[in-house]
Amino acid sequence: MRARLTRRRALLLGSVVAVVAVIVGLLSTGLGRDPSVIASPLIGRAAPNFTLPQLTGGKLTLSKLRGQIVVINFWASWCAQCQDEQAALNQTWQKFQDSGVVVLGVDFEDTAGDARSYVNSAGVSYPVVEDAASRTALVYGLRGVPETFVVNQAGRIVDHVIGPISAGSVANQINSLLQKST
Amino acid sequence: MTARTVRRIRVTLPALLVLIALAAGAGTLAVVAVRGQPPATRAQQVQQIAAGLHCPICKDLSVADSPAPLAQQMRQEIAQKLNAGQSASQIRAGFVAAYGDTVLMSPPRHGLAGAAYFLPAIVLIAGLIAAFTLLRRWLRAPGPDQLESDSSPPVSASERRALAKAVARLREEEPG
Repeated sequence: MRARLTRRRALLLGSVVAVVAVIVGLLSTGLGRDPSVIASPLIGRAAPNFTLPQLTGGKLTLSKLRGQIVVINFWASWCAQCQDEQAALNQTWQKFQDSGVVVLGVDFEDTAGDARSYVNSAGVSYPVVEDAASRTALVYGLRGVPETFVVNQAGRIVDHVIGPISAGSVANQINSLLQKST
Repeated sequence: MTARTVRRIRVTLPALLVLIALAAGAGTLAVVAVRGQPPATRAQQVQQIAAGLHCPICKDLSVADSPAPLAQQMRQEIAQKLNAGQSASQIRAGFVAAYGDTVLMSPPRHGLAGAAYFLPAIVLIAGLIAAFTLLRRWLRAPGPDQLESDSSPPVSASERRALAKAVARLREEEPG
């Protein structure tokens, strides 16, 4: 009788421990992840196409850049972190513009006037388009600015950076893509 | 009908009624939660879909509640897609394709997050089974009157003999 009771108690205790372990396991998987660094589901998929007006006039269509590496940078003139990464973007454009690489700025939630004055003062020479209605931002799953997507020659997104980019890491990514294509 | 059956019915009936009431309440809540009220107007439809999406640039606000320009744009996008004939699930799928499952206010029904849907049901069923088992054990347990009559241990033959001897001795010692 006593042995049966002890076995029953052990079974009950075991069940409680198992349930607690499952709950702790579930919580720790969630808590172990940094919620601010969410992997884009677009990586490995075809970059959504867009046709947007350029700040300098005319329109630019992403699909027409197929065959080149495209560094799509979402930014805004009011964004402090975008100013922090400006030098890295300018450097990338100057270094790779003759190697089949396009740096493309997409102005997000901004006025054309503010964007133009920022572009002039920051020495931006790569193409910049306006996403006035934020439709392109929504298709790219934008969570803020700056965010950068690297699109390979086949038109697939291969990298996504939340926050300011560094010239070194983008250069490594571009060099790796250029090497693959040769 | 014996007294014992009457007593059992008296105890079981209220417990059964409580169980039925609880089950009915849970069922009603489940139906309301799953089906809800169908939205009447296009604005209500937009509001309902937006309420199920996280504002991507806000903290813990739905697209319906957020005043952020991106959330406003998302509401416009929802309205345009509804006008184009897309269903609510197609619109949600479009946002999930761009943002991932984290854009949904409720966890997705697949993967690890799907546990949020079936775990409460399992816990509820386990609780009901435990309650039923305890109730049954409680009903089967002997009452205080039964305990009194049954609790005395059985008397062995040697004890009977010793008792008979002791009674005989007492009788012999009795005066007169």
